Amino acid sequence: MDEKQLVRLAQDGSQAAFEELVTKYQSKVFSMAMSFIRNREAADDAAQEVFLKAYLALPKFHLKSEFGTWLYRIAINHIKDVLRKRGRAREVSLDDVRKLSIADENALEKAEAERETEARKNLVQGFVQGLPEKYRVIVTLRDIQGLPYEELSQVLHLSPGTVDSRLHRARRMLRTKLAPHLGQEGGSHEM
Amino acid sequence: MKCKTAEKWILWSLDGRLDERSREGLEKHLEACPSCRKAAAEYRSMLSLLREEREPAPLPRFWERLEPRLRDEQKIMPLVLWERWALHAIPVFVALVALAAGLFFFTPQSRDMSQSEALLIENTNPFSETRSLFEQKRPEDKSMMLIFASLDEKPSVRRQSP
Repeated sequence: MDEKQLVRLAQDGSQAAFEELVTKYQSKVFSMAMSFIRNREAADDAAQEVFLKAYLALPKFHLKSEFGTWLYRIAINHIKDVLRKRGRAREVSLDDVRKLSIADENALEKAEAERETEARKNLVQGFVQGLPEKYRVIVTLRDIQGLPYEELSQVLHLSPGTVDSRLHRARRMLRTKLAPHLGQEGGSHEM
Repeated sequence: MKCKTAEKWILWSLDGRLDERSREGLEKHLEACPSCRKAAAEYRSMLSLLREEREPAPLPRFWERLEPRLRDEQKIMPLVLWERWALHAIPVFVALVALAAGLFFFTPQSRDMSQSEALLIENTNPFSETRSLFEQKRPEDKSMMLIFASLDEKPSVRRQSP
């Protein structure tokens, strides 16, 4: 059964159809929430709320876009609300990122190879969290979640040109911060 | 090729969005430019670290935890819909009542025009009607005409003196 049929059945009240949709998208929605919220329980709760909101809004969904795109839009809006409610104090500030980078720098010197990668991942995450919201959202959706460009454009209501330029700027900002900590892996310059 | 363009192309290439011809151009530039080569390596490393960030699995029994919440929501949904409807309906009702009241109180009421107004609308000089009255020389005739004019409206004024 294709996705549109599942959506129509869910709109007609079929719980089984909605369950299939949830099963298909739960990992993506959770992963997206986790990328922003950085806490498994809170991200899981946010993912549940996203599906609840989607369920209640199903009658208003007219299948003009893909179900996934529509769901991601709900997810992004909900996650932004959650972060706003949690308050900026609980988000990683730029100062925290600086402290984190020093701590991780020390860890990098001492740790073994696997721990180095883990520390670098934490460092990357810290810097992503430190980006201004619009850049953090686009980097998370594209580079962590792997959303295609067309979907990014639809989810964020941005033109393809804006998606391109904003992503470029976000990546450049991130690279500038990360450059001192990135190893020169793979000597080849082949793209 | 400028390094700025090369940087853009490096990212397009890592996204798999660079066409073959541009790719060849980029390769040539990277061979000759150590700083862009360094940027390419850093971007590659950064993006691979970001991609590892993906957390695929939510906590166990996701649907089993979600389903009772959906059922609860379904129970309260008609109430919520009614509340939402009422929230929109109340201001609309108030606006309609206000509009009706406004129409009732502020519509100009039709009233009879005075004789002078009627004559002015007909573009007739209202004094022409009274001219005959002023032309009377005898005061008794004037008084009689005034009495008749006050008894009737317009036609009485036109009554010729005997």
